[in-house]
Amino acid sequence: MWSKLILAAVLALFVAGALHFAPRRERELLGAQPAAGVPLRLLTWNVGYAELEDDTRAHTKDLPAVAETILRREPDAVALQELTGAAQLNALLALLRGRYRGAVAQQGAGDRFEAVLVRDAGARFAPVAAGERYALGATFRPRADTPEVLLLSAHADAFNAARRRAYTEALVGWAEARAQSAAVFIAGDFNFELRAGDETNLYTDNLQHDSESYSYLLRSFRDLGRAAGDTAINDRRIDYVFGAADRVRLRRAEVLRGAAVGRMDHWPLLVEVEF
Amino acid sequence: MLTLLRIELVKLVRAKSFYLSFIALTGFVALMLWGFYTYAERKAGGQAVEQFKYTYESKQYFNGLTFALYSVLFSFTLLLPVFVAMSAGAQVAGEARAGTLRMICARPVARPALVLAKFAVTALHAGALLAFFIGLNLLVGLVFVGWGNLELYPGPLNLVDAPGKIMRDEALVRFAYAALSGTWALLVVVALALLCSVIFDSPVQAVVTTIAIYLTLYIVGRVEFFEHLRPYFFTTDMDFWRDVFKPDIPWQSLWHYACTCGAYTTGLLLAAVLIFDRKDITS
Repeated sequence: MWSKLILAAVLALFVAGALHFAPRRERELLGAQPAAGVPLRLLTWNVGYAELEDDTRAHTKDLPAVAETILRREPDAVALQELTGAAQLNALLALLRGRYRGAVAQQGAGDRFEAVLVRDAGARFAPVAAGERYALGATFRPRADTPEVLLLSAHADAFNAARRRAYTEALVGWAEARAQSAAVFIAGDFNFELRAGDETNLYTDNLQHDSESYSYLLRSFRDLGRAAGDTAINDRRIDYVFGAADRVRLRRAEVLRGAAVGRMDHWPLLVEVEF
Repeated sequence: MLTLLRIELVKLVRAKSFYLSFIALTGFVALMLWGFYTYAERKAGGQAVEQFKYTYESKQYFNGLTFALYSVLFSFTLLLPVFVAMSAGAQVAGEARAGTLRMICARPVARPALVLAKFAVTALHAGALLAFFIGLNLLVGLVFVGWGNLELYPGPLNLVDAPGKIMRDEALVRFAYAALSGTWALLVVVALALLCSVIFDSPVQAVVTTIAIYLTLYIVGRVEFFEHLRPYFFTTDMDFWRDVFKPDIPWQSLWHYACTCGAYTTGLLLAAVLIFDRKDITS
């Protein structure tokens, strides 16, 4: 009888212990800081559609919703992915009522374009060649008293981890060469699959390549949106904003989960930092 | 109780399956060494110089501690629970099959004490198995691969979300922690197997049922369709043992899952005791 009672008591003790100790919470590398310096708000959004659609690029009918989100959140710069081209960008700029300037990247091997929108009228845009793809960089000054900011809009290969790695390497190399003259941010859809727990096998070349790419980015930059959670359907965090931690402090990072319309499979990631 | 423990311990040590588990794990270490060595040669050797870069393809990444970490993590999920289930599943059902259970119960021994003694001995087996496995991996890693720091990257092993490093001496302490946390996690399987052993009269049935339950929950827990069920599987909670290999051990979370596993273990053990106490022994 006593042994059963003792076992029951131990069971109750463990249940109480499990309730007492809170479940794991994601650790935030860069803690949110109180507002003090000059803020910079960046948004990245892959506005394309999910794989099952006929045309997985951005749909022009969704642009009013995209514009509305941008106008409501008022980011200083926006990195967009999967636009169909300059015509779609111009339509979006028109919907933004002239508050933003923008450009699309050169066409690479694919049929979709990266773009950057900036509020600064003096922004300069530059294509970034990365293998068969092109990213786009925009240099601007968010406020008169802040240093120059360079934002890269990137979109890595969705299907091949080795290509993602080569792309990331080229992009980081390009960005690092300009890190002295501007505060560099790399934003976009990198398609990194880093959650090995969801893989049926524990160690694959794909995981290794993505891990390599991500680790390489983190040698020079900080993953500013880490605490914000998943950015795409199926619980995937594949959209990132990387920034140099020694030049800025993170204020907040948020995934705007109500913003997607139509069959979009990504949500915008908004990151606010301060100088 | 001490006499019971001694008797059960003697029975365990005399069983062939006890040694089989150690031999099988030694074989696994040899296999891992071969795989690890050839992979490291291929990835960090001459033919991969062009790609040789930052993390996994660095020669210093492939050291004895990394080898031990991979080996322990790979085997813990699917290999160790099988041996533990074999040992625990045969405890009561094995006696029933051998015809010795009725004789034991006819003696002035409290049935709950008998179940608890069998549980304690099997828990000891699980702990010894894991400690042996970790020790062997570290030894083989030291002798054949060489030691260094433990470097961790996001992705494979799913341990960190940012690159991290554990210095050699600290990493050895973490392996010692892993022997404790891993044994604690395996106790859930021990208790489940013991419950099955009490319910079924055939040790094979008890072991197969335990492994089937474990594998079903483990596999279902990895299928996205059942993502929302995942938190309710003990296999999910058992995974806490790996947290000791994170550069900053999340103690709060570790205690939470350790308590959850403790609750599963004692709950299953209590059920086994209650059932066995009322069981009509006919074999």
